[in-house]
Amino acid sequence: MSTDTARRPRRARTQWGDLAVRWSFMLPTIVLLIAVLAYPIWYTIEISFSSFDMMTFGAGEWIGWENYAYVIEDYRFWESLWVTLVYLVFALPIQIVLGFGIAYLINAEWGGRGLLRALFIIPMVVAPVVAGGIWRMLLDPIWGVVNWAFGLVGLGPFDWFGDPNLAMATIIIIDTWRWTPFIVLIATAALLALPRDVFEAAKIDGAGRWATLWSVALPLLAPIIAATFVIRWLGAVKMFDIVLASTLGGPGKATSVINLFIYEEAFRSLNFAESSAMAMIVLVLTMLLTGVFLIGSRKLEKMY
Amino acid sequence: MQITKRISSPKAWLAGTVLALSAAGMSPAMAQEGLGTPEEPIELRFLANESFAATWQKTLVPEFNKIYPNIHVSIDGVPYPEHLAKLMLDATSTSPDYDLLLVDDPWAPQMATIGALVDLKGPEMSAMTSDDYDWDDFHPAPLASGQWQDKQYAVPVRANMLLMLYNRSLYESAGVPEPTPELTWGTFFEQAPKLVQDTDGDGNVDAWAVHTFFTRDQLTPTIWQTIFNSNGGKLLDEDGKPAFNDEIGVAALDTQRRLLDYAPPGALGHGFSESLQTFRQGAAASMFMWGSVYKSTAGGSDATTLTEDEVGIQVMPVGSVSAGAHRGVWSLGINSKSEHPEAAWTFLQWMSSKEGEALNARVAGSFPSRLTTLNNPAEPWAEPLYKAIENAYDVANQGKMWRIRSPKSDAAQQILADEIARALAGQATSQEALDTAAKRMVRALR
Repeated sequence: MSTDTARRPRRARTQWGDLAVRWSFMLPTIVLLIAVLAYPIWYTIEISFSSFDMMTFGAGEWIGWENYAYVIEDYRFWESLWVTLVYLVFALPIQIVLGFGIAYLINAEWGGRGLLRALFIIPMVVAPVVAGGIWRMLLDPIWGVVNWAFGLVGLGPFDWFGDPNLAMATIIIIDTWRWTPFIVLIATAALLALPRDVFEAAKIDGAGRWATLWSVALPLLAPIIAATFVIRWLGAVKMFDIVLASTLGGPGKATSVINLFIYEEAFRSLNFAESSAMAMIVLVLTMLLTGVFLIGSRKLEKMY
Repeated sequence: MQITKRISSPKAWLAGTVLALSAAGMSPAMAQEGLGTPEEPIELRFLANESFAATWQKTLVPEFNKIYPNIHVSIDGVPYPEHLAKLMLDATSTSPDYDLLLVDDPWAPQMATIGALVDLKGPEMSAMTSDDYDWDDFHPAPLASGQWQDKQYAVPVRANMLLMLYNRSLYESAGVPEPTPELTWGTFFEQAPKLVQDTDGDGNVDAWAVHTFFTRDQLTPTIWQTIFNSNGGKLLDEDGKPAFNDEIGVAALDTQRRLLDYAPPGALGHGFSESLQTFRQGAAASMFMWGSVYKSTAGGSDATTLTEDEVGIQVMPVGSVSAGAHRGVWSLGINSKSEHPEAAWTFLQWMSSKEGEALNARVAGSFPSRLTTLNNPAEPWAEPLYKAIENAYDVANQGKMWRIRSPKSDAAQQILADEIARALAGQATSQEALDTAAKRMVRALR
């Protein structure tokens, strides 16, 4: 028997053993993911195509697309999608611009910027329910400090939660207060990682602060901005807690974002089948849009 | 109260003997099967609302255990928004956790329809019912909250009614006579502009005529419905179809919208907590609110600036047919899958007995449902309150002033919440909102 033939089965055994070890490391995660992600999604799909049996509190008779047809005819579902879209269209760009802007400004060398960065984390660690409650107090038309401050310069009083148009702006303000620091952190890390020589070259060429930002920093940051947008989009599309804690979706339907509506349909009205259909539609829409954003993000990466 | 049973069957006779022996402190193991023994006590679990679960556990259970030491009762509190879903989930489980289920006013039909609750007046439970247990002593309005299709699935243990609370000082400073149960909506709105006032003379309005629920919430339609009912409106017709999108319904919703003109700024975003807070701070002359807040509002807590003498309470203003009220009763039922129905019924009978209810009213501030308790308030502060409650029960009973009784009542209430909120926010006219609600409710109630 040659040495080669003796080595081959040993190598094969080593490869199989290596594979087995790798899978054994991954198995707990796979089991966990199936339990907490795949099974609930499958169960939601099953309920969305069934009538909901209250006697067993589970999927009943298979009824095909009936729940989906009901949801598509429900004006409240479309209104909630529209409200969510309005929120996303305003909140995401504001947070990205503010986040990167603040990061750019505090990136300059000055004493105490470390402390400022640490303070920026505070809104992120405040529980959403607490944040909603605090903002309700701050913005209260009678006792709130914000209206009092505006009053000092002859503005207001503003009905932050009672005016249907202002209520959405209020939600965006609270959400921006909460999530901009997250973007500041990412942007700060990104700015610190940018190559210094390019900035030095721009300085030697006589580029001012604005020209450096526009022609050097932003193109270099473009892929990171795009990636941050995708991350924040995935968080923002789940918007629920702040609205629940501050406006309950009102006044009227002004801030009734889609996740709040699905929650209410499921746990207040006990329309589990219809709300499952809504959840599936939203899941598909979110996946499609996320796919589009990821493609855009990759294109930006290649471009710069 | 020691439960002694009606001896109408061999089983009941045996059970009666058990209780008699128990009362005598003999507690033979065989006889104590259903009510536990010192060696093997019965463990009962009770699902209640978090607002008062801890108080009941601390105040009522020890008193119960003085009579029934071998029945251990553990009360779990759950927040209101999750309460119904948790009840349904537990009741439909093959091995439920809870023996006793606390149901809100509109929930008895849906719990009964899925077979979650025992019929307390059925033969099996009747055989275990104490001779002293006086069903006829309950006022029919709260008792009806636990009924569905002529069966009694739950017993009222914490009643509540929508009432009008008013601030005597603000009425006096505005020069407006105090409300009486004869106050009409017309008079209320005539007086309202005067009740919007600057009490400290700094040139800014700091007190308003009224506050109540206006936010997008299931409680908000109860105000509209009370006005609607007091004008003779009925939510559903004889065939169970929505009938509220008529002239009376529209007028009632216009009335609720009109209240906003005399409510504090931001009222459209206010619900239970904010309206209560405004009233307690002395910034609202009147408030349409659950009566159970009376004690903690009229000097009974640190959360209020008002004294007992400053706060009046009565039914809501009179419409074209009657005064207004709205029932909101918590009733307690027994899980049909409970392994300890006898112990659970023993506890429930004790808690809703004349003695148990009086204790519950005194130590936990629960509103009574029994005429005996209503007519014998234990403390002076309760006298005007009990008078208002009894009046409200009569009014509610007469005008069927409660939420829709249906296995889909919560879905129906959410539809009303959505549409009433749209109308109040000016996103739809009253007629449009009610038409949409009626159309959607046809499917919801199917």
